[in-house]
Amino acid sequence: MLKAVVDNLKGLWSLLVGLWVTGRYGLGPFPYWLGLKSFGYPQLTTHYPRQTIRDEDLVTFRGPVELVPAEDNPALSRCVSCQICVKACPSASLTVVKGADKAPRQWLSDFSLCSLCGTCVEVCPAGALRFSRDLYWVVEKREDLVRDLLARLAGGGKGRVAA
Amino acid sequence: MDINLQVIIKLLAALGLIIALLIANSLVMVWLERKVAGFIQRRPGPYEVGPYGLLQTLVDAVKLLGKQMVVPANCDHVLFFLGPVLAMFPMFLVFLVIPFGPVLTGLEDDLGVLLIMAFVGFEGLAVLVGGWASNNKYGLIGAARAVSQAVAYEIPLILAVLAVAFQCGTLNLTLITEAQGNWPWQWHLVRQPLAFLIFLICMFGETNRAPFDLPEGESELTGGYHTEYSGMGFALYFMAEYTSMLLVSFLAAVFFLGGSGGPLWPGIWWTFIKAGLLMTLMIWVRWTYPRVRFDQLLNINWKWLLPLGLLNLWLTALVMKCF
Repeated sequence: MLKAVVDNLKGLWSLLVGLWVTGRYGLGPFPYWLGLKSFGYPQLTTHYPRQTIRDEDLVTFRGPVELVPAEDNPALSRCVSCQICVKACPSASLTVVKGADKAPRQWLSDFSLCSLCGTCVEVCPAGALRFSRDLYWVVEKREDLVRDLLARLAGGGKGRVAA
Repeated sequence: MDINLQVIIKLLAALGLIIALLIANSLVMVWLERKVAGFIQRRPGPYEVGPYGLLQTLVDAVKLLGKQMVVPANCDHVLFFLGPVLAMFPMFLVFLVIPFGPVLTGLEDDLGVLLIMAFVGFEGLAVLVGGWASNNKYGLIGAARAVSQAVAYEIPLILAVLAVAFQCGTLNLTLITEAQGNWPWQWHLVRQPLAFLIFLICMFGETNRAPFDLPEGESELTGGYHTEYSGMGFALYFMAEYTSMLLVSFLAAVFFLGGSGGPLWPGIWWTFIKAGLLMTLMIWVRWTYPRVRFDQLLNINWKWLLPLGLLNLWLTALVMKCF
């Protein structure tokens, strides 16, 4: 009986601790806005159309796969057209057509099938694939989801290149 | 009370003011709830519609007004439409007896507490009717939960209120307010701390608010009793939730926090400030605690609140008789 009472009093105290934790965050933005930055807790979200996330905050973002540029020529891929990624892809979203001298002639990734599992990135023996940081990539037609990664690489691999 | 034209005009004016108050309350509180939820979770909350998102609820209300009210197949039509109406309308009556200020009371009644406690029970009935009539398993489970919860939590609520009524020797809310002084140590919060704690916990159970919002329980019952409601049916249930929040906050302010008598410049604003702070507390609590399990909910009530409430009532009676 006594133990139950003590346990319940401890429980009531823990409720107050919980209120302190959320109340601190709830009132956190106000000192931040008033200039007392060491007391406050700023809001952590981004107002999307007016602000975008900084590139250095995107290092952990895993977007649709892209090709890694070669060391000697950043406009060319490290891909050796071995087709291991094509076979490893569980949803058959990749198309690699071999060209002259092992270099790929065509490299398509169908994002409508991709589930971002990363198996292609893991199995690639040449280290030619990685996750992109295309956070704001938007298409209007389903066909546009098929990305020509060689053309994207030739165009610098940056920005919102759809095709 | 003899019925004459003056009384009728006063009652009608009070009803009109109360309806305006309840609608304004829902509009403001939904905005505040979303804003507080956002701030606690370190995001801004609504901020696009109007300054600081103030017009967001107005736009939402217009959307709900314009929506079709879908009626499920094989439901009980009469009860299905009666449910939301029953949830909202007794509230207008209950607010008549609340003394907002020394002169601003719709209906001076010696049995005010009894009237409130009788009509607050309608909310459990409305939830039962709505959930039962919608021919939906989630609605039915939510309704069953609401009934056992309402039955359980009304008893300690009444016990806590009765202790205060014993101490004042009246069921008239105006006299209960006047029995407390202007200063915090004269309030029933200090004289009846256990009753206040019980009342505070029962507030959440009575209004079906988190952590005791099992009748809606989104995670397991999709929407509980209002799963099948859309458009204005849903809006009325939603309004009823915020209205009952306002009701219990005003009751707590009147019973335990001195009502309109504030530390300085006593007046009607103190009632509203106290009730507003209590409602903010209820929102704060909702976004802090997880939902309790149903057996935990009933254990808190039957094993702790009810015995403590009875003990408090007996002690109060003893003290009042002996001294």
